[in-house]
Amino acid sequence: MDFSLSKEEQLIQKAAAEYAEKFIEPIAKQIDEENRVPDEIIKGLGELDLFGIPFAEEYGGAGAGYACYVLAMEQIAAASSGVGMILSAHTLGLGAIDKFGTEEQKKKYMFKPCRGEEVASFAFTEPATGSDPKQIATTARREGDYYIINGTKRFISNAGYPGPIVVFAKEEETGKVSAFIVEKWCEGYSISEPWEKLGMHGGPLLDVYLKDVKVPAENLLGGPGMGYAILQYAISFGKVGVSACALGGAEAALREAFKYAKEKMHRGEPITKFQGIRLALAEIAERVEACRWMAYRLGYLADHAKDPAQFAKDAALTKDFICAQIVDISRLAVNVHGSYGLMKDYKVERLWRDAIMGLQIEGVSDMQKEIVAGVLLGRK
Amino acid sequence: MNVVVAMKQIPDLQQIRIKNRQPVFDDVPLTFGTIDKNALEAGVMLKENNLAEKVIVLAAGSEDLEDTVKEALAAGGDEAFLIVGDDLNGAESSIIAQVLAAGVKKIDDVGLLLLGEGSGDNYSGQVGSRIAEILGWPQVGYAGAIKLEGNKAIVTRVLEDAEEVVEVALPAVITVVSGINEPRIPSVTQILKAGKKPKEVIEEDELDGINKEALITTVSNLAPESDRKRIVVKNVAELVDKLRSENMI
Repeated sequence: MDFSLSKEEQLIQKAAAEYAEKFIEPIAKQIDEENRVPDEIIKGLGELDLFGIPFAEEYGGAGAGYACYVLAMEQIAAASSGVGMILSAHTLGLGAIDKFGTEEQKKKYMFKPCRGEEVASFAFTEPATGSDPKQIATTARREGDYYIINGTKRFISNAGYPGPIVVFAKEEETGKVSAFIVEKWCEGYSISEPWEKLGMHGGPLLDVYLKDVKVPAENLLGGPGMGYAILQYAISFGKVGVSACALGGAEAALREAFKYAKEKMHRGEPITKFQGIRLALAEIAERVEACRWMAYRLGYLADHAKDPAQFAKDAALTKDFICAQIVDISRLAVNVHGSYGLMKDYKVERLWRDAIMGLQIEGVSDMQKEIVAGVLLGRK
Repeated sequence: MNVVVAMKQIPDLQQIRIKNRQPVFDDVPLTFGTIDKNALEAGVMLKENNLAEKVIVLAAGSEDLEDTVKEALAAGGDEAFLIVGDDLNGAESSIIAQVLAAGVKKIDDVGLLLLGEGSGDNYSGQVGSRIAEILGWPQVGYAGAIKLEGNKAIVTRVLEDAEEVVEVALPAVITVVSGINEPRIPSVTQILKAGKKPKEVIEEDELDGINKEALITTVSNLAPESDRKRIVVKNVAELVDKLRSENMI
């Protein structure tokens, strides 16, 4: 067992940290206030290959795997979880095409997104479905060499950016759920205003309206009726990104808490002299350490996944654990700041709002526990 | 013409802890100095402007160099020439200068040797001048801009109160200041490909005529003590007075 990083892994981590420090951190508050990530940040991340880290070079990716994706994402999300959310949802959508796409589909739809020239999306959730795939109401009707798709998708990340979106719809003929690669902004594609959410500002969540969207039959992903399998697989890999994003927030909370505690003076000495502060800092450090190694391990497992059910269990328990921890970690960091932690002048205020998002996105906490229990107990 | 960039392997300064005023190097990863990275970037930009054929990274140090140099190769170096020896990390300037000069002689068609004005750790600022002396090449220091025209370099030297533009015949040694450029952040693909770039590694013993007698001995290496004056002021006017009296404003 070796917990050290290779030189390449260290350098990827360092490159992401340097970019985050130089270009994202200085405008992170602006991103939070405007709920928008400037285009030059997307371009910069693309130039560093951060939009295609896990994917093969032949499709425009960097071929560095999910382990390196976690290392980079941790650093980016520590500066802005909104930027992290864009990358995470993008990698989820592209991951589905990478795993289930034909050679032609991958060559057509992965190159530009891997370079950050387009941003991918993944559209399953609907106003009435929640986490129940059987309730899906979006339909796909076969007409010759095309499918005609109609429906509404809810809380879809990156829906306003051009690029591919993986859309799940029930085939009218068979009643089975299939997945389709749709090009955003094609005829019949429209979006809502971004939802005004509590945290992770800059990572846009929108509703997508599909009105008689005509999709070539060759854009069917993975074969007819494969929707549920694709959903399960892709969502599991999506949790790698969400876990890494939460880890970044945890790391940022730790940095802010230690920085503040060392600088804040009480009667001529830093408040680290108080045992209450010391205990809080130690608890933050303990929890962050646990989160870090769970997230790193999940990245490793994603690169070596053999049994989809086992990986789904590992992804669910990691995502649920880290996202629960970060709520406590950021609250402890706010506590170290006292009243100042509630003020927008301090980063921990944003970190706390961002942290609360994690448990609800990409599958609520209870669903993760159900997945874990289902695999461990054996499904009926 | 090739550009050689001499870079020094040092501990990552941001990760060094200080204990009893002594630096603690345990588990601190190795990297290159920040001004060395400026020198590399200057070389890479010359190549990108088709003014140089290859950028070759030259370094002397412990065997960790083979791993450390990936950082420079990811940031644009085409090849590496490494001189490895157990006692080269931390060797003093006169010895390192001899070793690097011997390395330069083993590389073909060197038109320009670039270095940072000082290393990231000791910042003695001696190595560039010493190499120039050994090689018999002209040297220009404090370079804030470099242009190549035919067989000469036009260098803007950034001095305290002025800028001086000089011409120097090639081959030459140029040491650069940090303001010369903003080193690029390597992409993931460049990082992964760095380890596959050509690399020649020789043992220090393979070099002839190195005088290993140290001319300078480091007696101690201590972090500065920061004494706080603990002056309490009651209002802004008093603060301004105090700062004025200390010539701070």
